[in-house]
Amino acid sequence: MPTISVKYRDLCELLGRRVRWGSLKRSLMMMGIEAEAAGGELKLEVAHNRPDLLSVEGVARALRGFLGIEVGLPNYGLKNSGVVVRVDRSTRGVRPYFAGGIVEDVKLTDASVAQLMQVQDKLHETLGRDRRRVAIGIHDLDRVRPPFRYTTVSPEGVRFVPLDMDRELTPAEILGEHPKGVRYAHLLQGFDRYPLIVDAKGNVLSMPPIINGELTRVTAGTRRLFVDVTGTHERAVNQALVILMTGLAERGFKLGSISVKYPGRSLRVPDLKPRRKRLNVRAANEMLGLKLRVREAAEIMRRMRFGVVGARGDSLSLLVPPYRTDILHEVDLIEELAVGYGYDRLKPTLPKVATVGERHPLEALSARVRKVLTGLGFLEVMTFTLTNPRTNFELMRAEGEAATIANPISEEYTILRTWLIPCLMSVFRENKLHPLPQRIFEVGDVVLLDEGAETGARDVRRVAAAAVGDVGNFTYIKAVAEAVLRELNVSYEVKPLEHPSFLEGRAAEVVSEGKRLGIIGELHPEVILNFELEHPVAALELDLQAG
Amino acid sequence: MDLEAVVKSMGTHERKVLLALQQLGGEGDIADVAGRAALEPATAMRAALALQGLGFIRIEERKRTLAAATEEGLAYAKDGLPERRMLRSLLELGPCTPEEAASRAGLTEGQMRIALGWLRRKGWAVFIKQAGRTMLAPTRDGEAAAGKKQQDEELLELLALKSVEVEELPSHLRSELAVLARRGLVEVEQRVQRRLALTEPGERALALGLELVEEVSELTQELLVSGRWREVKFRRYDVAAPGPQLVPGRLHPQQEIIEELREILLEMGFVEIKSNLVESEFWNFDVLFQAQDHPAREIHASLSLSKPGRARLPEALVERVASAHERGVAGSTGWGYKFDADISRRPVMCSQTTAATIRYLASHPKPPAKVFCLGRVYRHEKIDYKHLAEFYQAEGIVMDEGLTLRDMLGYLKLIINKLGFERVRFRPGMFPFTEPSVEADVYHPRRREWIEILGAGMFRPEVLRPLGVRCPVLAWGIGLTRLIAMRLGLEDIRDVFCNDLRWISRTTKLKPSGG
Repeated sequence: MPTISVKYRDLCELLGRRVRWGSLKRSLMMMGIEAEAAGGELKLEVAHNRPDLLSVEGVARALRGFLGIEVGLPNYGLKNSGVVVRVDRSTRGVRPYFAGGIVEDVKLTDASVAQLMQVQDKLHETLGRDRRRVAIGIHDLDRVRPPFRYTTVSPEGVRFVPLDMDRELTPAEILGEHPKGVRYAHLLQGFDRYPLIVDAKGNVLSMPPIINGELTRVTAGTRRLFVDVTGTHERAVNQALVILMTGLAERGFKLGSISVKYPGRSLRVPDLKPRRKRLNVRAANEMLGLKLRVREAAEIMRRMRFGVVGARGDSLSLLVPPYRTDILHEVDLIEELAVGYGYDRLKPTLPKVATVGERHPLEALSARVRKVLTGLGFLEVMTFTLTNPRTNFELMRAEGEAATIANPISEEYTILRTWLIPCLMSVFRENKLHPLPQRIFEVGDVVLLDEGAETGARDVRRVAAAAVGDVGNFTYIKAVAEAVLRELNVSYEVKPLEHPSFLEGRAAEVVSEGKRLGIIGELHPEVILNFELEHPVAALELDLQAG
Repeated sequence: MDLEAVVKSMGTHERKVLLALQQLGGEGDIADVAGRAALEPATAMRAALALQGLGFIRIEERKRTLAAATEEGLAYAKDGLPERRMLRSLLELGPCTPEEAASRAGLTEGQMRIALGWLRRKGWAVFIKQAGRTMLAPTRDGEAAAGKKQQDEELLELLALKSVEVEELPSHLRSELAVLARRGLVEVEQRVQRRLALTEPGERALALGLELVEEVSELTQELLVSGRWREVKFRRYDVAAPGPQLVPGRLHPQQEIIEELREILLEMGFVEIKSNLVESEFWNFDVLFQAQDHPAREIHASLSLSKPGRARLPEALVERVASAHERGVAGSTGWGYKFDADISRRPVMCSQTTAATIRYLASHPKPPAKVFCLGRVYRHEKIDYKHLAEFYQAEGIVMDEGLTLRDMLGYLKLIINKLGFERVRFRPGMFPFTEPSVEADVYHPRRREWIEILGAGMFRPEVLRPLGVRCPVLAWGIGLTRLIAMRLGLEDIRDVFCNDLRWISRTTKLKPSGG
């Protein structure tokens, strides 16, 4: 979940009143925001689907409603700024969508500049999918002259000073030298022209999605902002713009729209029109187990910052604020109703749903096997199914194929185990300084490649047991295997087996109804030494779902 | 304990020693007592110590310096010192060569040399020249010494009889001790002498009468069958003494808690289902209305597979799910992007057991149903004290007509209470596949804080409708690692998979309160 940090004072100023930290924290929690205080800063953890809460302004807006300070749909004035942005056809292949807007009467402090950077970063991370889907640029409008052009340029086709540099670079040089260029170069890989935003005189505002020009850097002295949003997903581009601009409006700044002219179509952005949605209060009550009247529901929804424009029968007609990108379905409104009502006020009820509990047969079998082996004095161990070819094959003198992780976390966990005995050997290695004899077992799954299986691999439940020390011999482990098989009512035969992991002439397979059920044997001296052990080891491994 | 009971509880050895001491007149050396009691000295000493512990005897220790003849000294005491034997020969033969005298006296060459030295030193004989030969002749002193025992000989004979305390030696012999010791004929050593003496309680104990019965340590078949067990006395054991440690076979502590949770859910009427370790992205994400470019699906969130390569999919369901993603379903807006079935076919390590409950709903769309799954899930996490890449999750669903969010809370509260947590708190949560969503915290009395324990919610219509489910479905999931760590009192969550055998054999689960 994304986390933002905000200043307590800043938040209270935006709320228009001072709320004690304890009660603030509790309100935030009941809105679904986890809050921690750390040295004058508040760390807020916000849900993935609520990009509108990624700024202190957005959080304050929601809190004002929740606390009843200001309810209903927020009203944002929007003037036509007259600014035009032309979108060049050449952007279509690399980054086709553009949106933007103007913010006037701006009064920034160091704190609000920091918030502006933060919301930009957080929108990049979440809605923007790390700038791939959406990238945002914020500029000092007074340093450049509209109309602007969203176009493309060849890697060496222009030179400008990027942010945080003191010399002019070409786009290719930026990708090679500028820290942001290096970090995001992969987004432009394979393209021979890069996106570029220029003003009427050809000054570079930005090279999306990489970096802005130093020319339009925003400072505490900036009075008018130009916001650009580019991307590959039109809906997300517009959502990011709306969330950013309405947040700024919460500080009392004035918003201005611009005209975006694509070849063959033109539109006015940002679009701050609320969406109309219906909420059926009866359906909501049924879902939540409440008996709210329509009027009560309307009041709650206004506290959640929805507009209520009418009620007909059980149905409320709502206006959804443009920044609420998470409202996809009526259930999303019902959840808002529940949050507004207060999760802490919902009394738990327990319905009767008549069903009979039943253990999974494989788990029932596993439990029986555990009982037999603990009865024989074996200790259960639990190891990871993730392993590596060295442990699973090489140290065991074995070969084979295994399901393989494409993006492993470490060299230790690159494949899925195909048998349990290597895991038990690793446990013996971990315990080699402890007294002998040791008897251990594991009941667990292995993963076998199988073209016939739906995913190409299937899990098999197995049991393996092993003994080291004077009990590490064939006779003993065979007796253990037979005790398990007898307890499970399996009829079986024991046949000689040649297996590289075991001593020649001291390995066997257990066969039942023509199928191999498992193996038993004394481990090969090389295997014992490979696992850094110095005493004889015998082991068994049986399938629990062969039949 | 009264005296009678103490006497009764006394072992045979103690009884024998006490009786022997009585026979010796109430006082005696440990060696004498042991001899009288017919016990090994060490056994008698152990018994004596026990008796001293009971207050029946006193043990006095005294350090003594003892002088005793060595083996060589004993031989000379019998046959006479070499110089004495040589003198005797000389007196018989008159002046003669040393060899003749030695031969007559039956001395070895070595003894002859010793004899010559001492003859000279004691002044008993001298060498004279006679007819050009060197001869040995007795002196006057020598003749006088014949038949008269010297002090050194007297001492040697005394010590040959028994060892004697140096201080008890007559003073005129004491000076000879050093000479004989230097000659290796006498040894002087320090010894601790233990004397036992009956005390007044000891005498009272004896007055009660001590019966001597045979004592045995083990009950044998022979004793049982012959009936002799009635006659013997079984040696009393020190029952508090530490013995060997036994390790019973037992379940892994993590497994025990998983079993406990399984029992709770079975009791509540949930049916158990199994999850797959390897899933397709379709069942792991798509069916759960997680957009294909959702951050949780990115490479750094889950473990993808390079082998196997492609999963088979239920094509008709894929179409319905794709359309829910692209355009929405049941009045939903959808995500508005182009669904890609190739992504759906990619195998992935199961990252949430919800995949299993959803598979169940797809094949059992009719209410009522209550199922649960306890399985391993995988995350692309660097393993540290707070994170594991592979861990257990419990998941459950309830499907029936008319279920509400409050019913959801009712189930959660019951499960949490059964897990042993008394206080629970609900707050809004966020999961892509449920709406409304809930997070539950439990109060940990020992740590005095609220701890997040599970997430839950009602499945979204975009999830249910493509599966053909028409009634509400409550769903919840518990990441078990933190819960298990809490129950086992572990700080480092990696330790829930600890395989230190001593830990496994000793660990018991805690009540959440730590009691």
